[in-house]
Amino acid sequence: MARGRSLGALIPGRSRTRPPRPFLRFLARRFVALLFLGLGITLVAFLLTNLAPGDPAAANLGQRAIEDPAAVASFRERYGLDKSLPEQYGIYVWRLAHGDLGESQQARLPVTEELGTFIPATAELALLSILIAVVVGVGLGILAAIRQNRLTDHVLRVVSLTGVSMPTFWLALVALYIFFFRLNWLPGTGRLDPQFSEPEHRTGFFTIDALLQGEWATAGDAARHLVLPALVLALYNIGLLTRYTRAAVLEVVHNDYIRAARAKGISERRIVLRHVLRAALPSVLTVIGLAFANVMTGAVLVENIFAWPGIGQYAYRSATTLDLPAIMGVSLFVAVVYIVVNFAVDVLYGVIDPRIRVS
Amino acid sequence: MLSRSTPRRVLLVAVALVAAIAVAAAAANSTSNDQAATGTLVIDKSFDLKTADPQRQFEVTGGIVAHVLYDTLLEFRGSDVTTPRPSLATGYRASNGAKTYTFTLRRNVRFSDGTPLTSRDVVFSFRRLINLKGNPSFLLAGVTVSAGGPYTVILRSRTPNPALPAIVANGSLGIVNSKLVEANGGTDAAGADKTDKAESFLNRTSAGSGPYLLKSFNTTSRVELTANPRYTGRRKAKFATVVIRNVLAPAQLLSVQRGTNEISLDLSPDQARPLFGSRNVNVQAISGPNIWFLFANSNSKISSITSNKRFQNAIRYQLDYAGLVRLAGRGSGRAAGVVPSQFLGALADAAAIKQNTTRAKAELAASGLTNPEVELEFPSDFTSSGLSFGVIAQKIQADLGKIGIKVNLAGKPIATSLANYRAGTEQLGLWLWGPDYPDPNDYLVFLPGQLVGLRAGWAAGSDRRLEALGRRAGSTSNPRVRGQLFRQIQVQLNQRGPFFPLFQPGQVVAASKNLTGVVYNATFQIDLATIGSR
Repeated sequence: MARGRSLGALIPGRSRTRPPRPFLRFLARRFVALLFLGLGITLVAFLLTNLAPGDPAAANLGQRAIEDPAAVASFRERYGLDKSLPEQYGIYVWRLAHGDLGESQQARLPVTEELGTFIPATAELALLSILIAVVVGVGLGILAAIRQNRLTDHVLRVVSLTGVSMPTFWLALVALYIFFFRLNWLPGTGRLDPQFSEPEHRTGFFTIDALLQGEWATAGDAARHLVLPALVLALYNIGLLTRYTRAAVLEVVHNDYIRAARAKGISERRIVLRHVLRAALPSVLTVIGLAFANVMTGAVLVENIFAWPGIGQYAYRSATTLDLPAIMGVSLFVAVVYIVVNFAVDVLYGVIDPRIRVS
Repeated sequence: MLSRSTPRRVLLVAVALVAAIAVAAAAANSTSNDQAATGTLVIDKSFDLKTADPQRQFEVTGGIVAHVLYDTLLEFRGSDVTTPRPSLATGYRASNGAKTYTFTLRRNVRFSDGTPLTSRDVVFSFRRLINLKGNPSFLLAGVTVSAGGPYTVILRSRTPNPALPAIVANGSLGIVNSKLVEANGGTDAAGADKTDKAESFLNRTSAGSGPYLLKSFNTTSRVELTANPRYTGRRKAKFATVVIRNVLAPAQLLSVQRGTNEISLDLSPDQARPLFGSRNVNVQAISGPNIWFLFANSNSKISSITSNKRFQNAIRYQLDYAGLVRLAGRGSGRAAGVVPSQFLGALADAAAIKQNTTRAKAELAASGLTNPEVELEFPSDFTSSGLSFGVIAQKIQADLGKIGIKVNLAGKPIATSLANYRAGTEQLGLWLWGPDYPDPNDYLVFLPGQLVGLRAGWAAGSDRRLEALGRRAGSTSNPRVRGQLFRQIQVQLNQRGPFFPLFQPGQVVAASKNLTGVVYNATFQIDLATIGSR
């Protein structure tokens, strides 16, 4: 297959002029699955949150207000808690169909607006973290595999095992202590130093927003603030990817076609990059996808320690205050992330491996 | 020998000197009065923030913010919480047996947009607070508000309310610019809980007359304030910008040592230990206003054991109060009664119940109970001042175990344990009470039939003498007499009530050494406007 051809053109049995129906069918199937999965998630989240012992009014109203029937009635009416559970769920789904995720009981803001603030903060961190993890983890994995059972391999295996074994919250505290407190190489908490104001919200990525507005110093400061939490989040995934890449490369490296390539005198570098890695990449890609989804949805502790106002902090706050609309919003977001990431991985399989495209 | 002209020369020199001193003094004076606010003050706080709307906020972080955005009629100064001082009001007059309060407003006050502040704004703010039916609405329960003229405000209470001067100093009673808030969806009319739409506006822009203005507001990351250039009051901002950041205590510990112009508000006494004696950081560890207490449910339907008065006495005399205070850490103090030591009517330490194991054993024997086994509930996922309820519960379990009372620890997530506590279904409960306002009336809730009394199964009519004393104390306006009455109440509570006040945990304020005016106050924590830099 020639490089640069579109995915649709690569699928057999279809001319270039006709619309890429199989791909569209694939997209449509995924979209329908997303709808059902989303609906299922809302139902499960709704039921579980309502089954949890505790009263949202008690969790959100103060110790005096909870004793005031007028205040309690006002709270229940505002959030529809005075209606039966099926009614509440029906209203939620109806609003959801219109793009309304309800209003957060804590901040009394639309959940969509809150997600719009928190998601970009996490996404900015997650993207950098996963980029570091992929470059370093895949690189080290290949290195470990091609130097199998040598000193480099042994060292890298220990290092990767250490990476996956370290509790992330502990790493975060240690990193903060060493690089911020002791060495003062990197800033501590938050997305910006106090003397910088947040750039006007366009993408929600402070680095990009600041650059778009020509605030170079703010962009630099935002980038510096990203480094430490991104590295902490990346360490686990570096260990994970090193191990998976090593295993995947080792599976491929002893195949006949690799031996044949060597016999033809192709350089080792070319063999690794063009033949070995390409064949090993699909399974590594699965891990990368899952790692990215995990970072996007599971950085609660790191976000808390680095005072990073991301989706992890939002999820924690919502759960501890029984903020039902916010919990539902976070649950839906998590579901969407996994679905989208899996979808992206599926598409990338086809791009990387021609055998998957034709099957 | 001196020439004839010498005295004249001396006189001229003296005049010139006096004039120079006068000019220098005037210049110095004008510098100190008109000193422009500069620099950035950084406050690290673990957020419990919900809103910047003064009439909706009733959280600690929200109180810190509201205190500098919105002026109140009266205010507390420094660390004092006993005497409300003039702020927007030059003073007040109580009449009709503490049922009517007339406040006279200062005439030269302007909001940050230049609008003059009048009684209309006060009436709007207070009515809005009442009609929003939010967390702080109870502060003006049974109170009606009216204007007696452009600069006179009258508060009428259904019942005698000597706590009203302390209540109007609360940040939730901060005065908003009524025209501006109304123009942005605000209302003070009945039904405001459904029709008022000003919260999102007030989360973006402040509408007050305080020393700072709201620049940005985020409930999970940071709040940014800037100095109010039109401010004319006593508390002129000394920093151009204040940034309040949401940071967990362990990170606060590192930041405050690294930063300048930085204050940490959430370190526990244990966490702050490395900072004592630090070259860069000043640390204050003083008793906070929260009262940690244990109760034994007096409702026999909940437990025939804990409702036994002799059993309650056994607990009362067996608890190792000194050990509990030590466990709570540096700065912590014994809670002699339910009213915190800083407030009017607090009991002296000497009047506190002391551990007496012999008496405790005798009381347990007299209770007729053998090998009693009870459940102690507490919020397992909640800490206050860095102190875990679980640790204190274990100490109580160990103390009572020494005289044969078996205590089963039943820690639950706060959402669950709070529901049980409020429903009055806990046998033994370990909780704290934080002041809603700095007045002993806020502690009448511990009496039979009242809010916390009912949570301990202490129904109205259980102790008529104490209840009558409570009614008298709650409606007496003379501070000296009130103080005596509240002390009497607490002595009786300590003798026969189901509550066992334990301690007031230490409150740590760690600040960069270059900062001045960092004073902890039990109501608003710290006044950002009084903080300056050397």
